[in-house]
Amino acid sequence: MLERMTRILFCVIACACVAAVVALAQPSSASAGWCWPNCSSYALLGPSTSTYTGCWYANGEVCSYYNNWFNVGMAKTCHPGCDWNYNTTGVVLYGFENHDRIRGRFTSKAANTVYLQPAELSMSGMLRAQVTWYGGPASQVNAGAIG
Amino acid sequence: MSTRLKLAVAVMVVGGAVVAAVLVARGDASRDHATLSNAGGPAIGIRGLRLKAAPIREGHVLAVRHGRTFYRLNTVSGDPCFGVGFAGDAGSPGSVDCPRGGFPSGGSPVLDFSVYEGTRHDVRELSLFRIEGFAADGVAAVQFFRPNGAVALTVPVSGNVYSAASVPKGPIAGFAALDKDGKRVWRSP
Repeated sequence: MLERMTRILFCVIACACVAAVVALAQPSSASAGWCWPNCSSYALLGPSTSTYTGCWYANGEVCSYYNNWFNVGMAKTCHPGCDWNYNTTGVVLYGFENHDRIRGRFTSKAANTVYLQPAELSMSGMLRAQVTWYGGPASQVNAGAIG
Repeated sequence: MSTRLKLAVAVMVVGGAVVAAVLVARGDASRDHATLSNAGGPAIGIRGLRLKAAPIREGHVLAVRHGRTFYRLNTVSGDPCFGVGFAGDAGSPGSVDCPRGGFPSGGSPVLDFSVYEGTRHDVRELSLFRIEGFAADGVAAVQFFRPNGAVALTVPVSGNVYSAASVPKGPIAGFAALDKDGKRVWRSP
């Protein structure tokens, strides 16, 4: 009985954590934006993932359409596993790109939320928001950008 | 279960906990690399962030280096965040990271905010565009290295912050935290 209750409790806590992280990763609902895979869930970003929308890298990258973005945000889960400090071995680059270059910051941390404005990358104008697999196993991410 | 057996199990559990606590307390990671002694200046208002469900209204400036401001931030619910931004636009960080569980910790002594750039589509080879970030107490420098392991640049840490005026050309494969003796105490995945 106790074991069953513990299992249910863990399940409830895990669901609450996922919901909280997804909510935190979302850009302001007041603005038009882009989300991947959508604005309420995670998907695996690995070496063969692509949105087939002409991103900087043909594979291992998801990107938005061109827009004057205000920021890009991203959240990553512990998939396929993380240590006590939420470190994973899946490394992703998040940021922006244009026709000339791709720029961003790296993260391998799970369960944290990151936000980045184009000016931080010395970029402006029409850009694509991007999240790119860079190394390790596929990362489970939810990404969004607001304009 | 007999009373004697229960007592033996209890003694073993308590003993194990005491041994574990002593080992953790003696570990350098828990003592030196899990604190950030720079509390920063007085609280200032933070503006310009549109972060749903993670509103940040106040923060503390930890340092200003090379035209960049380093912030220690808190969401209104008290969760810790860190941010950086242009010094000419004080109170308006352009990049924020809210690490779950806080920063630093024994297993995460560096929170890197460096910017990387790629100009080739065919290879996933990125170089540094800007170097900056936060480091725990006990981290004396952050070292960036090439894909072959050679050191590209070593940046000193001061006041729990590191920043470089210029960046080396060429591909970068990762970075490591060094203690005051130059020993690598942590490296990025």
